[in-house]
Amino acid sequence: MSKPVGPVLRMSDDVDAIVAAIVDDNPGREVTVVDRGAYTRVSGDGELRVTRESIERHLGRDFEMRQLEGLMSAFAGRIDMTSDEVRWRLKTGGPGAPA
Amino acid sequence: MARMAREKWYDIARDLDWELSYVDYEEVFPEWMSGQGKVPREAWAGWDEPYKVTYPEYVATQREKETGAYSVKAVLQKSRIFDQLDEGWKSVAKEHFGAVALVEDLAAYAELRMARFGLSPTWRNMATFGALDETRHTQISLYFPHALVGKDPQYDWAHKAYHTNQWAVIAARATFDGMMMNPNVVDVAVQLPFTFETGFTNVQFVALAADALESGDINFANMISSIQTDEARHSQHGGPTLEILVEHDPRRAQWIIDKTFWVSARLFSVLTGPGMDYYTPLPMRRQSYREFMQEWVAGQFVDQLDDYGLKKPWYWDEFMAGLDTWHHSLHLGVWYWRPTVWWKPQGGVSPEERDWLHEKYPHWEEQFGPVWDVIIGNINDDRVELTLPETLPWLCNLCHLPVGSAGSPRNEKYPVRSYPLTYNGYTYHFCSRPCRQIWWEDRDTLYDPTVIERLLGGQIQPPTVEGILTWMGLTPEVRGEDAYGYRWARPYAPRRQPGDRPGRAETGTRDRDGQAAQTPEPAGQGQRVPVNALFEDDFVTQLVVVQDTDTVDQAARKVAAQVVGRRVPPRDGGLVVRLDGMAVPGDVTVAESGISALDVVNVGWARVAEGGRR
Repeated sequence: MSKPVGPVLRMSDDVDAIVAAIVDDNPGREVTVVDRGAYTRVSGDGELRVTRESIERHLGRDFEMRQLEGLMSAFAGRIDMTSDEVRWRLKTGGPGAPA
Repeated sequence: MARMAREKWYDIARDLDWELSYVDYEEVFPEWMSGQGKVPREAWAGWDEPYKVTYPEYVATQREKETGAYSVKAVLQKSRIFDQLDEGWKSVAKEHFGAVALVEDLAAYAELRMARFGLSPTWRNMATFGALDETRHTQISLYFPHALVGKDPQYDWAHKAYHTNQWAVIAARATFDGMMMNPNVVDVAVQLPFTFETGFTNVQFVALAADALESGDINFANMISSIQTDEARHSQHGGPTLEILVEHDPRRAQWIIDKTFWVSARLFSVLTGPGMDYYTPLPMRRQSYREFMQEWVAGQFVDQLDDYGLKKPWYWDEFMAGLDTWHHSLHLGVWYWRPTVWWKPQGGVSPEERDWLHEKYPHWEEQFGPVWDVIIGNINDDRVELTLPETLPWLCNLCHLPVGSAGSPRNEKYPVRSYPLTYNGYTYHFCSRPCRQIWWEDRDTLYDPTVIERLLGGQIQPPTVEGILTWMGLTPEVRGEDAYGYRWARPYAPRRQPGDRPGRAETGTRDRDGQAAQTPEPAGQGQRVPVNALFEDDFVTQLVVVQDTDTVDQAARKVAAQVVGRRVPPRDGGLVVRLDGMAVPGDVTVAESGISALDVVNVGWARVAEGGRR
């Protein structure tokens, strides 16, 4: 993975659901998950995204995108955040980078 | 009732600004505060923060975070978990609280400066959230340790440290004043949120949480990782500022990142490195400091620089090499000068720990092992007094860390040495070329005297070890001592052979009344000549005060008294003084030899041709 981007999630009950949602929302893209106990680093090459819909499906309850902030201690890459989706990406490099 | 999605109205609200009519723009955004430089005024209209949040969202999220952090604390406070924590680990937390709590308060001021002088309404809006964040961080970082003051007075330094002149605090203050208190808001945004908060704080607040959780300090792990969720958001106002600056003045952008990165790396090598590689109990270490720095800084941050069209800093190879040495040198220094810190440094060099260090850092044994061997010998021979300081290491005029700590013994590329600079008739000393270069460029905006300069200037009275500790605010009950009473050194005792006894000290000028031997009152007709002295194979340079009437041989013995038998094993060979690489005859006086105040003086073992004397 030449340009890993993605969230670093802090310890919480919701980490597994968020990771599963990220995997669902990035079909065909390799997603690596490194668990260091207090934090879990989720990475994709150049770009990753996650949607509120997928998170809610895996959590089995309503979720506001702002709540992701409380679970995310850091991230690699640049972030774009709307009410329905979050993207992590780099402008340069990686297969998912914008032209 | 369904609420309108944020993105449908947010752009209008956040860009709300007004046109000035009663006052000039330059008066509202003076250059010395706003720092627009070469960037045209209209360019700031394109400032776009990527991590968007509204005030109601902010309040709701922060409330949830606070509830989470404080409820964990409330539960754990009733348990016995704290009493069972490893003493070495506790020192990681103590160092963190003292070095960080009130820096969070300074960061609130830096955010408020951007909230006032930021060059777009969007930026000012984000910075307002940032100021609220940093206020929360100050409060939580003071409140959590406050509950522990009754159990251990060293926790009191969470609040006290920043109000003292303790040396690490002076180093931190110099770094953070340059990063966030003195500069204009453009520089603040690139230095603090972009370089420091997306680069370095992740190591202290996220990576360290991994070690904290393994060590059983759930409360600390929960607190610092909660803090960093704020940072992940508000650090994003560095990016848009940088993007605009890179477009209009890439040279300035690169420079302010380069210098901030360097001073941050130097500071983290004492703030974070020793905790990860020595204080955290061996079975609990998730990764080495070098590995964490590679993950968070060398990898993630460099990708970020590249993405903004910037290069790695010019000193990159030196920084990477420093990940193998700086924090080992600083750990050794903190441990040796342990009465000067408010925590209990764990030696961390037991045989098993040493194996781990050797595995993680293949040159550790060759570079630092011999110094620890002398210390271990002294501990096991009940000569602990030789493992305690009688003078101070010479300190760098930029980073305020010991000269020598940006290198290591037996390291040809980055040796233990000073990088001096004489300017306006005064000699400054630096730990490295980058520190010297940054000082030179910024010399008109910074001047924070080092502890050495304050001592030589007469600000510290009496000029004794006790006087220095008192001046630093270190009351006897908080002065650092080995976390485990030297337990880690005991396994070496039976292994040593009689011929290995390294502990014979030079007796030079040690003063038995507790005087700092290196700051004596003038004796006879002589004048005091304070020099920056390095003894061959030692890991730092030190302040040694000789008399101009001393012979060079006598001066050499004064230097040796602070090193030989303490950190360098004795030899039967004679000593020789070298000035500018040339051996100086031992029978001339210091005055005749040309050695003068603030000079770098190297003392070593005489080689046959040099014929040094004892």
